Amino acid sequence: MIAKMKSFSINPYNAWIGFLLVLILAGVTSGIFVFIRGLVITNLTDQTPWGLWITLDLSSIALSAGAFTLCAGVYLLGLKQFKTLARTAAFIGLTGYGMAMLFLLLDIGRPDRFYNGFIFWNKHSVLWEVIMCIGLYFMVLTMENLPNFARWRWLQDKFPKLVDRMLKTHDTAPYLAVAGLVLSMLHQSSLGATYGVLISRPIWYRPGLAGLFFVSAIAGGIAMTLMVTVIAGMIRPGLQIEEKTISQVARFLGWALVVYLYLRFWDLFAMTYTIQPGRTEGFDLLTRGTLSFNLWFGEILFGILIPAIILLKGSYRQNKLVFLAALMMVVGGLIAYRWDTNMVGQMVVQSPLSVVILPRYTHYTPSLVEVISSAGIIAFGLFTITFGIRYLHLMEQMPFAKNKIN
Amino acid sequence: MNRREFLKLTLALIGSFAGHKLFGKFSFAEAHTNAKNGAHKWGMVIDQNKCNGCGFCVKACQASNDINPEMAWNKLYSSTKVGKKEIFTPVSCQHCENAPCVSVCPVGASYYRDDGIVMMDYERCIGCRYCQLACPYGARSFNWDTFSGPNPTIPEWGEPDIERRPRGVVEKCTFCFQRIDRGLAAGLTPGVNKAATPACVNACPMNARIFGDLTDPDSPVSKALKKSPAFRLLESLGTGPRVYYLPPQPVGEENNT
Repeated sequence: MIAKMKSFSINPYNAWIGFLLVLILAGVTSGIFVFIRGLVITNLTDQTPWGLWITLDLSSIALSAGAFTLCAGVYLLGLKQFKTLARTAAFIGLTGYGMAMLFLLLDIGRPDRFYNGFIFWNKHSVLWEVIMCIGLYFMVLTMENLPNFARWRWLQDKFPKLVDRMLKTHDTAPYLAVAGLVLSMLHQSSLGATYGVLISRPIWYRPGLAGLFFVSAIAGGIAMTLMVTVIAGMIRPGLQIEEKTISQVARFLGWALVVYLYLRFWDLFAMTYTIQPGRTEGFDLLTRGTLSFNLWFGEILFGILIPAIILLKGSYRQNKLVFLAALMMVVGGLIAYRWDTNMVGQMVVQSPLSVVILPRYTHYTPSLVEVISSAGIIAFGLFTITFGIRYLHLMEQMPFAKNKIN
Repeated sequence: MNRREFLKLTLALIGSFAGHKLFGKFSFAEAHTNAKNGAHKWGMVIDQNKCNGCGFCVKACQASNDINPEMAWNKLYSSTKVGKKEIFTPVSCQHCENAPCVSVCPVGASYYRDDGIVMMDYERCIGCRYCQLACPYGARSFNWDTFSGPNPTIPEWGEPDIERRPRGVVEKCTFCFQRIDRGLAAGLTPGVNKAATPACVNACPMNARIFGDLTDPDSPVSKALKKSPAFRLLESLGTGPRVYYLPPQPVGEENNT
């Protein structure tokens, strides 16, 4: 380590790490600021109690969904060719859930009592189910990643016996895949149900959100895994990225997007077929109101339609940059969807005084502290993924393995 | 005991703990979320014919419960006009029979008391604010900041009889449970004796607010509900509020009861 510090020079890798460290430092500072001063320094209000942090929390969980999808594919369906991708996805999953927990820690009013979620059980609450699933799935992901951490050369040199034990946990992978599948299917959809059960905000929130969150998470999670893999392959030409498997998964992703697009349109238009007052106002708000740009361009056009075409057409997919752009659009589209879902129900509420639903346009723009702390957490995620690619050799066959596990 | 046995035993213990929590009869969460049938069911009636929008109830509430001036448990809306008369709707926690806030709270910090009051356990609340999204009445306020300054409504509008809530928890109207509990212990009847009645009811100069036990046919609320038609806010949602409103009568037909 010290020897490396001495031979410090400015190359792109060091610049990248330095940039991330600066962001992380800024994020930690503003996080401490939030803990000291309280949530009063955010722009959250009693009308819009959930904002940027919750959106990014939902997004990082959804973008981690590649872990359970690909692990189930490899260990349950026996698609062994996706093993490298599954390894990457599991590591991204661990990172994503770590990020989600940090976002939640910032967001709750009493971070000193976060453990109450595990002690006091209200099993009627969807959010309780989400808390339990996230806690348990984080453990599953940690177990799934033990063989990955065993690829760290430093660890291999220092603690060879420990590394042997960590590699042995690979035997449990199929069981972990089952556990991961069950837990993920539960909470990925329950995050949508978290909004879906809110009868107080009837315009956009209804039980169908559970299915939409699940399908969009599968698409987003796979896109995130592919995106990281493709970027890593571009930056480090030494990596042998298996083009064929990537292409196969990309086609699957394209079809997943088509399904998601169908469900999304069904969701958009089905909500107008109702006698319940206010549904059309909600539809109007989303399609023509303040969120319409986000919806038509962020979600539908760039989030689903264009990437689906690129991913399904082989000749477009061949172009690395176009392919990468499509994957980034899917990831961006998922974040846009989570943002819209979070905001739209809070913007239009039913007045308690009458049965008429009054669209109420709340203006929420995240405060500086929210933005900087979020940037810090995202930088932490990127830092971890960079570490994984460089030191855990996630995307290569282990070149210096003493054991035969790859 | 070898390691395998130890692991099995540990897993069995964790499993039985989880099973007990989920299906057990004496689960702590169960006691919090399922209201038993207590001797009383407290309710409130607000007569919109009498309410003139003076806002005394709001101030009495702020003082008696020592609420941050930037927050409110009791809100006064000007809802409509009947003839030339402005009609007001004061809205506080409706103490619903099927409260959305209680069912969504992940830690069971919102719970039903046996007497129907929807209560907050401020020690348990983690401040996730999900209940604020769930409440159709906007009855819940979050402590965004520590309330350390003086309360401007004290002592003019009353003396606080519960302690301030810490920063980072959600709070709401409790029907002044402290006055009810103390009053009952002293043999008083809430709704009849002032010392056992919520502060907003006592403060109303127009006697527009009536309080009492909904299960007791002789209580002031039961009598008022027998006498005239009443409605509840957003009844169609199925929340079953325990705050009733007597709708304004058309001009000329005002009943002076």
